[in-house]
Amino acid sequence: MTFSGVGLGLRRPHIEQVAALAAAPVPFWEIAPENVVGTGGARHRMLTGVLERDDVITHGLSMSIGGFDAWLPEVLDRLVAFLKATGTPWHSEHLCWSSFGGAHTHELLPMPFTREAVRHTVTRVKALQARLPVPFLLENISYYAELGAAEMSEREFVLEVLEGADCGWLLDINNVYVNSVNHGFDPKAWLAGMPLHRVAQLHIAGHTWLEAEGVLLDTHGAPVVDPVANLLAWVLARLGRPVPVLLERDHEIPELAVLLAEREALQRVYDRALAGVAHA
Amino acid sequence: MPEAGTPHLARLQGLVTDLVLAPEADGFREDAAAFSAERGLGPDDQAALVLRRDRWLLYRDLVRTALEDPLLDAFPVTHALLVRQEAWTWAVDAFLASRTVSSPYYRDVAPAFVAWLADSRWGQDRWPFLLQLAHFEVLELDVVRHPDEPPPPGLLREPASDRVAVLDPAARNVAYGFAVQAATVEAPEPPSACAWLLCHRDRDGTFRVLELTPHVSALLARSQEGQALGPAAAELGVDPLAAFELLRDFRDRGALLGFRPA
Ligand SMILES: [Fe+2]
Repeated sequence: MTFSGVGLGLRRPHIEQVAALAAAPVPFWEIAPENVVGTGGARHRMLTGVLERDDVITHGLSMSIGGFDAWLPEVLDRLVAFLKATGTPWHSEHLCWSSFGGAHTHELLPMPFTREAVRHTVTRVKALQARLPVPFLLENISYYAELGAAEMSEREFVLEVLEGADCGWLLDINNVYVNSVNHGFDPKAWLAGMPLHRVAQLHIAGHTWLEAEGVLLDTHGAPVVDPVANLLAWVLARLGRPVPVLLERDHEIPELAVLLAEREALQRVYDRALAGVAHA
Repeated sequence: MPEAGTPHLARLQGLVTDLVLAPEADGFREDAAAFSAERGLGPDDQAALVLRRDRWLLYRDLVRTALEDPLLDAFPVTHALLVRQEAWTWAVDAFLASRTVSSPYYRDVAPAFVAWLADSRWGQDRWPFLLQLAHFEVLELDVVRHPDEPPPPGLLREPASDRVAVLDPAARNVAYGFAVQAATVEAPEPPSACAWLLCHRDRDGTFRVLELTPHVSALLARSQEGQALGPAAAELGVDPLAAFELLRDFRDRGALLGFRPA
C-alpha cells in the first residue's frame, strides 16, 4: 500500500456519517491510537469498522518523547497491537514533551534547544522505535517560547534530533509557518538545507491569531490559509514525490462536507505541485 | 530546589510543570528570575525565561484549557453547581495543583477528577453530595465506552431460583445517598434521598438509568457475589416471580447478559 494525496483526521463527530458510507471519501484517515485503544461501545465499533475498511495512518499525541516519564508496558503493548491492526505504514509523535514527574499536561511543550536535549530525545526516540513494529516519525511543533537559554536555533535542534535518531520526519507545514511568524524568520530559508529526504508525511492545518498576546496559535481550529497552502506546494515541488498530506482539524470542527471540500481544494494544490515536478 | 544532580533538562521541565499546574505560578508572574533561580536554573536560563515570561503564561492558559475541556464535557451538572457558587475555577485550580492527571489517555482526565475528589474530599464539607454527583456524571462515559467483550459461555436466557443474574460488563449497579440522577444543569443540587440505580447502555450504545428499589439492587448485588436468586429473594423478602419479571425486562434492555447456574 502506498499512501499519497491529501487525507483527513477522522474526528468523533463524523464517525457515524463516515461509517455509513460505502467507501472512504478520502485517500486515507489519520487516527490517534490513544483515542481508540482500550475503549468499546457502539461508536467504537463503528470506528473500528472504518479503520478496517479504509487506509489509516496513525499519529500519537501523548508519549512525551522529549520527557523523562517511563512508558507503561500496557500502554506500549496496546499501541503496538493497534499499529499492527490498522496496518499503518508508520507511526508519528511530536518533537516535544507533555508530562513530567508523572503529571501529564496533554499539551505539546517545547524542548530547550540544547545539546543535552538533543541527546536525551535521540535516546528516547531510539528506545521507542525499538518497540514499534513500523518506522517512527517525529513531527516539528509550533512553539511560542524558548525553554531557557538556547545553544542552537530551533531549526538546528530539529535537524540534529532527526539526524541523531535517524528517524523519519513528519513535516508540519503549518507549524513551520506559525513559527516563522511568531519568531520572525523566512520559512523557505528554514526549510533549505533540512533533510527533506527524511520526510514521509506532511501536516497542514489552520491557526488563530491572538490579538492580545500578539501570537499566532496553532489551534487546528480554522481553514488553511493561502500562505500555508502555497508553502505546501513549494515543499511538494522540492520533495518531487507524492508524500501523503494530512489536513488536521481538531477544534471548531465543521460538517464533514465542509472538511471534504477543503480537502479537495488542497488535493488540487497537491496535484498541481506534483504535475509541475513531472513536467520539469 | 531540585535535588543535586538533577539534569538541566529535568530542571527546565520541572519549572514549566510548576508554572503551568501549580498555584504558585503567581510567583513566576511576579518574578520569573527568582522563580527560576529557586528551581536551580542559572542566570542565562533566568534571562531567557524572563524575556518570554508572557509566552510561558500563555502556555499556562493552554494547559489549563487542555485539562479543563474534558471536565466541561464530562461534568455539565457539577460545573453548573460550582460555577453558580463561583467555585468552579477554584476546583479546577486545586485539581491541577494535585497533579493527579498521569494517564496518556485524554479520556482519563475526567475520571482523574473524580478520583481526586474522593482522595482530597475537596468541597465536600460544603457540598456533601459533590463526589457522588461527579461520580454519577463520569459513570456515563465509563458505561458508554466500556470495552466490548465476548459474552461468557453457558449463558441462560431465563431466570430461575438456582441461577444468578449476569450483568452486562458495561452495566453498573450503584447506590447513592443523594438522588444524583435527578440533578440537572438548571437545578444541579441533587435531592437528599437515597438512589439505587442500574446504569447501562442499550443496544444502540445510549446511556440508560433504571431506578431500582433497594431490594432489587441488593438482589443484583448478591447475584454478582454468586448467591442464587431464590435464596437471595427469600432473605430479602422479595417476591421471586415479580423479581424474575423485572430481571427479564433488564435483560431485554441489555442491562443483563442473562443468567447462569449459581
Ligand atoms: Fe501536526
